[in-house]
Amino acid sequence: MMPARLQRTLLTLAGAAVAVLLAVAISSVAILAAEASPITALEAMFDFGDTQAQVATAVAFILNRAVPLFIAGLAVAIGFRMNLFNIGIEGQYRIAAIVAAFVGSQFVLPGPIQITLIVVVAMLVGGLYALIPAVLKVTRGVNEVISTIMLNYIAINLAAFLVRGPFTGEREAGQLTTSTPQLPESAWFPNLNFLFEMFGLPAPRGGLWGFLTVAILVGVIIWVVLERTRFGFELKASGLNASAALASGVNPKRMVISAMVLSGAIAGLIGMPEILGRTHAYGSNFTAGLGFLGIAVALLGRNKPVGIAVAALLFGFLDRAAAPLQFADIPPSVIAIIQGTIVLLVVIANEITSRMSMRQEERRAARQLDTTSQAQAEVAA
Amino acid sequence: MSTSSDTLAAAPPAVELEGITKRFPGVVANHDIRIAVEPGTVHAIVGENGAGKSTLMKILYGMQRPDEGRIRVHGEDVNFRTPSDAIAAGIGMVHQHFMLADYLTVLENIVLGAEPGKGGLLDTAGARKRINQLAESHGLRVDPDRIVEDLGVGDRQRVEILKVLYRGARILILDEPTAVLVPQEVDELFANLRELKAEGLTVIFISHKLDEVLSIADAITVIRRGTTVAAVDPASVTARQLAELMVGSELPTPETRESTVTDRVVLDVRDVTVQRGAAKPLLEDVSFPVRAGEVVGIAGVEGNGQSELIEAIMGLQTLSRGRIVLGEDDITTWSTLRRREAGIGYIPEDRHRQGLLLEAPLWENRVLGHQTREPARKGIWVNRTASRKDTERIVAEYDVRTPSIDTLALALSGGNQQKLIVGREMSGAPKFLIAAHPTRGVDVGAQAAIWDHLRTARAAGLAVLLISADLDELIGLSDSLHVIYSGRMVARLDPSQVTPEQLGGYMTGAIAEEQS
Repeated sequence: MMPARLQRTLLTLAGAAVAVLLAVAISSVAILAAEASPITALEAMFDFGDTQAQVATAVAFILNRAVPLFIAGLAVAIGFRMNLFNIGIEGQYRIAAIVAAFVGSQFVLPGPIQITLIVVVAMLVGGLYALIPAVLKVTRGVNEVISTIMLNYIAINLAAFLVRGPFTGEREAGQLTTSTPQLPESAWFPNLNFLFEMFGLPAPRGGLWGFLTVAILVGVIIWVVLERTRFGFELKASGLNASAALASGVNPKRMVISAMVLSGAIAGLIGMPEILGRTHAYGSNFTAGLGFLGIAVALLGRNKPVGIAVAALLFGFLDRAAAPLQFADIPPSVIAIIQGTIVLLVVIANEITSRMSMRQEERRAARQLDTTSQAQAEVAA
Repeated sequence: MSTSSDTLAAAPPAVELEGITKRFPGVVANHDIRIAVEPGTVHAIVGENGAGKSTLMKILYGMQRPDEGRIRVHGEDVNFRTPSDAIAAGIGMVHQHFMLADYLTVLENIVLGAEPGKGGLLDTAGARKRINQLAESHGLRVDPDRIVEDLGVGDRQRVEILKVLYRGARILILDEPTAVLVPQEVDELFANLRELKAEGLTVIFISHKLDEVLSIADAITVIRRGTTVAAVDPASVTARQLAELMVGSELPTPETRESTVTDRVVLDVRDVTVQRGAAKPLLEDVSFPVRAGEVVGIAGVEGNGQSELIEAIMGLQTLSRGRIVLGEDDITTWSTLRRREAGIGYIPEDRHRQGLLLEAPLWENRVLGHQTREPARKGIWVNRTASRKDTERIVAEYDVRTPSIDTLALALSGGNQQKLIVGREMSGAPKFLIAAHPTRGVDVGAQAAIWDHLRTARAAGLAVLLISADLDELIGLSDSLHVIYSGRMVARLDPSQVTPEQLGGYMTGAIAEEQS
């Protein structure tokens, strides 16, 4: 018989695959409604360009998009693991990004130290901003969904104020947007274009952000923390059965605080790839919405680092397809429809497969025990 | 439906349950239930919490389907799939927790879900007329235009009853209707019930308050451990006899066994009082020692402070007054974790709620509660290898029937889940163990095994606090027996001498506090 764990994993994967296929089918209806051909759309989505340079650029785009989404998904997943809904990732990463960008522009140190300091500041700010809803919840019982949503508004507007006011840098003539002062060159994260060169491809336009390596490292660390440490176990126990965790000596207040702060600290990293890799400043056109997308990515990835990585890559892939779709005269909003249906269907599929695997588990146990008791009866006879 | 009132004597029973059995994975909630409710009577169903009353009512009301057995209403076989089927057959349920919309009027609440229409509009006038008619004929006074939020508990209950009558019910199920009422309201309710009875309606009344049952019921069925154990006539039974039936009257022949009680006090509970707000204390001046090698049993009807006592010892409940001492240490202000680390084990009364991570494998359940101790812990890590190995040990030693230690806990039967918990809580050499209903909902084999494990541990010097609703268990295992009644220890009894009459008397408050 197949080991129970393997069977559960296969069932989950099958469920996800069915969900993605169904989502493509449903989106095809939307494409047809927009009077375009789903086949053309699919071709456009997989068309990475004619030249090697275009292919390299497309791949880099997908990865560059996936990295912050992956980090955002991780941040959300830490809270989700214990049924703590940190909807405030959006605000946490924006406020962390602007403070880190500004602080980083105020001094010049050797590269690794400069970058480490900026990253630490971002994590600190994100964690501290997430501490507010955590403290409110623990001391006053304020629902974290409400408080984090409210704090998002505060963070977004505060960031908008800071970038125009106290943290604003020099604006070049003719530039329409404001931004924080440019980071010194020591804070520019080296890109990973050499990877393309290793495969004989030309370097992509814009470059492959080096923060990818940090993201992978963070992913591994989070996996280890969630799956192997005492903290991870307590987090999981609190999520699966809060009253059992309480009776087992897990302090729920401590868990809320630490999960929320860790989630916020990881959220602080979301803006780093872009700031350290491309813009070298926090501008008023800084990428928004990553925190909310992170919720979808975490849901899609079932709160597990590997799943979140796959989900982030899928989202990156779909986001890249927006431009080629437009060239093929298909409204790029189709992408949003696909993403939405995938998330919905995967959530449904997850629920169905988890129920199925639980029922299967019960049956397996019952069957196995039946055979053993029969064997015992035979021995007795 | 209404033809049944013609010839009462010859009429078939209003409700007849025959051989009803309902199993949940690993647990038999109801087993071979047999009840016949005569029309136009108040029929009481009594039993301890957890005896299977609520499952039975859910089956009768179509919320759950029985695995075996037949239900007949007025002599006809019925097969309820949903509560709507039950309502269509004239059965209505008044839930223990009211299901009313606070901001709607009484009238709106009553018609909710069965709104009379008139050209697409709500026929308020018609509804009011019908409600007033019902209220008058059954003596259920309510003002249909008041907002439910402003009503008292007694009035709300009347609204619930009217709601059921409005849907044409001729058979009413009342689930613990007096639990929320003050004595005067209880009298009023009983007057209403007598009126309903006089109108030819049938009332099924679920309760564990024996005096009330005796005063209102025309017939009583007793349920214990999921099955009907007796059908008695209230005129020829006393509250104490009923209590014995409820908790199991047959005393096991007192075992002549060596006492392992030492004079070393392991846990000392001193004047513990738990009070929330200005209400009556949930626990009042509770004091008792538990010695090494001793099983101290706590008898009592559920809801008399047992849960609070457990929570107080586990550190889940802050004390208003008093102290708890473990060995040499005053642990009153210690966290749950610290208490567990100091050697307190806990078999919770509800294993699914407090004892297990159902969706996690067995070995992770072994870690639960031991996450800060050897062998489950290694620095900041969970020691997977050691935890798995120790789970294998528990599975073998405690005879947990499972395909593997990677099986999810939910796949195990109740008895095997419980054996795993017992094995876990006995790990790491505990000094003191709380065993709350350790054999509730487990099969006979597992029950005997768990009892053996508790006896062995006691012989090895473990101090045990046993809380149970099963008198056989309490008397068979305890070295000394306390009775808890409305938050206070009312008697200390010798389990080898006690009679069920005495115990029942103390438990129901019929015998006043010991003079000491």
